[in-house]
Amino acid sequence: MWTFIARRLLYLIPLLIGVSLLTFLLMSLTPGDYFSELEQNPQISPATLAQLRAKAHLDKPWYVRYGYWLANAARLDFGYSIANKRPASELIFERLWNTCLLSMAAIVLAWGVAIPLGIWAAVKKDGWADRSCSLIAFVGLSIPEVLLALLALMFAASTGWFPIGGTQSSDYFLMTQGQVLIDRLHHLILPTAVLAASELAGIMRQMRSNLLDTLRAEFVTTARAKGLREGSVIYRHALRNAINPLLTMFGYSLASLLSGAFIVENVMAWPGLGRLTMESLTKKDPEIVVASVVMATALLVVGNLIADLLLAWSDPRIRVK
Amino acid sequence: MSPTPDSNTNFSSAPLLEVCGLQLDFLKDGQALRAVDDVSFELKAGESICLVGESGCGKSVTALSVARLVPSPPARYVGGQIRVNGKNVFEMSPKELQQIRGGVVSYIFQEPGASLNPVFRVGDQILESLKLHRPASATREEVVQLLKLVGIPAPEARIHDYPHQLSGGMQQRIMIAMALASHPRLLIADEPTTALDVTIQAQIIELLKDLRQRIGMSLLLITHNFGIVGDLADRVVVMYAGQIVELAASATLLARPLHPYTRALMNSVPKLGGESDRLTAIPGNVPNLGSFPKGCRFHPRCPKARAECSESVPELREVEPGHWVRCPFWMS
Repeated sequence: MWTFIARRLLYLIPLLIGVSLLTFLLMSLTPGDYFSELEQNPQISPATLAQLRAKAHLDKPWYVRYGYWLANAARLDFGYSIANKRPASELIFERLWNTCLLSMAAIVLAWGVAIPLGIWAAVKKDGWADRSCSLIAFVGLSIPEVLLALLALMFAASTGWFPIGGTQSSDYFLMTQGQVLIDRLHHLILPTAVLAASELAGIMRQMRSNLLDTLRAEFVTTARAKGLREGSVIYRHALRNAINPLLTMFGYSLASLLSGAFIVENVMAWPGLGRLTMESLTKKDPEIVVASVVMATALLVVGNLIADLLLAWSDPRIRVK
Repeated sequence: MSPTPDSNTNFSSAPLLEVCGLQLDFLKDGQALRAVDDVSFELKAGESICLVGESGCGKSVTALSVARLVPSPPARYVGGQIRVNGKNVFEMSPKELQQIRGGVVSYIFQEPGASLNPVFRVGDQILESLKLHRPASATREEVVQLLKLVGIPAPEARIHDYPHQLSGGMQQRIMIAMALASHPRLLIADEPTTALDVTIQAQIIELLKDLRQRIGMSLLLITHNFGIVGDLADRVVVMYAGQIVELAASATLLARPLHPYTRALMNSVPKLGGESDRLTAIPGNVPNLGSFPKGCRFHPRCPKARAECSESVPELREVEPGHWVRCPFWMS
């Protein structure tokens, strides 16, 4: 199994090189750079600009710059953000933590609610519980995340129950440690709910249909024929099998949460990786953009790896020898 | 009209299983389609019965109904009774049903690979049966003992295997061990060899025969293969389109089949060492649920059909002691 993990992580290296190369190329194909804005400023001479560009290696062709970047990245140095005047790694890890926090909270919420609801809907198929779950799922899947985020902001603004944007209040340095924790959680609630909403609906529908399929399987008849209680038939025999496809979905779920986080972070002013990427794109700060794309890719691959390992743990048929 | 074994079959004990006038519908698109129509037979302790017929004749549904294993809906029991040990299964509480399932009636199915739970070790699946019905014997040793009984080599190692690590024949042996674990009085085997290859089929049939003699349990075997009837069955019930068309002691039936459908079925079994006749197939197909022909349900495929056959459904009549036939022209 360790060789399997090692191999998967090794595959990650060419993938990351490809992704970073593509991002670098695309960035360099767009007109202008970080200093283009300064060209309009009469106080800055073209000579100064050329000097600044030379310092940031912006005078060199993109493939040379990519070579520099790759050489540094191999030593885990992701360069220097010219827009933020800080090392890119420092900035990204700070933001990565926020994105992970938001995504993890959304995962816990979405899966924690969707799995029991999906099971409930399947067991009470065609009953009122099933129908109301279907309705919720329909609404959850139909509303775009942007709209939901805006509605959440409107809700926060009109009721004043939740803060609007940010990860903590501006006076957090005056709080005790416990208060800081509560303040952070308070900030986390709305973005998490918005991010979890559409994910939740999908998982719930999947859980329901998987369990319904499994309940028709022949081994379920065998379990009943043994004389097991209906509870054991459903929760022990059927559910253990119905959960397997969902573990695969877990990997994809991580991916869609990351892209969902991109939208939620931008609309709800959550200082995460998605928002940083967006800001850096408009400012033409290539180091940050490439590094955050690379981070997001790595996160996705690791997420899929975790999903595969979970599946192997749960389903003996796909275990690697 | 309840066909029962007569004096020339020597079973003195009370019936273990009585199926009386069973009628079952499947609900589809708001329509009730009759899948089992007035099926009656009984099975005494220690006796062995074969249910024979093509696919879609209602054999499996009848057999699954014994322990109420047909999900309803879509199934709906319209009439009749099934009594196990004298008690009607349709009036049993869920708790009583759980005791009957495994405790009195055990099942093995057509596809052992699909009937075993893929995510549990086979030893644990057998142990589960033991825990339910014989908790005092729910030990690893007993599981190993059961695997030995059904002829699995190296049982100590096999109990740690998952179903997918075993061959089809071994999987079916595991199913049999699991079914026997609870010491049932009746084993219902629903086409237990259909999904296996021919040599393995013979082994499984041999095993069932051997176990029946050693344990002395009753057997309800569902098959569409007349080749194994003589080996295993005391009596044979032939079903067609949800109805019993012929019922007799197996020796009688094999020697002198009276219903045209039974004869046609028997002619479609290849005989080893026999004259090299062409294998005769029955023309046409079993009619679909809900589109049974008027009159005798077999008449469109029957080589001896007459004009009267399409008018009314013939009755199942006892034409000789213990030999019931649903065809008024059985003598011809």
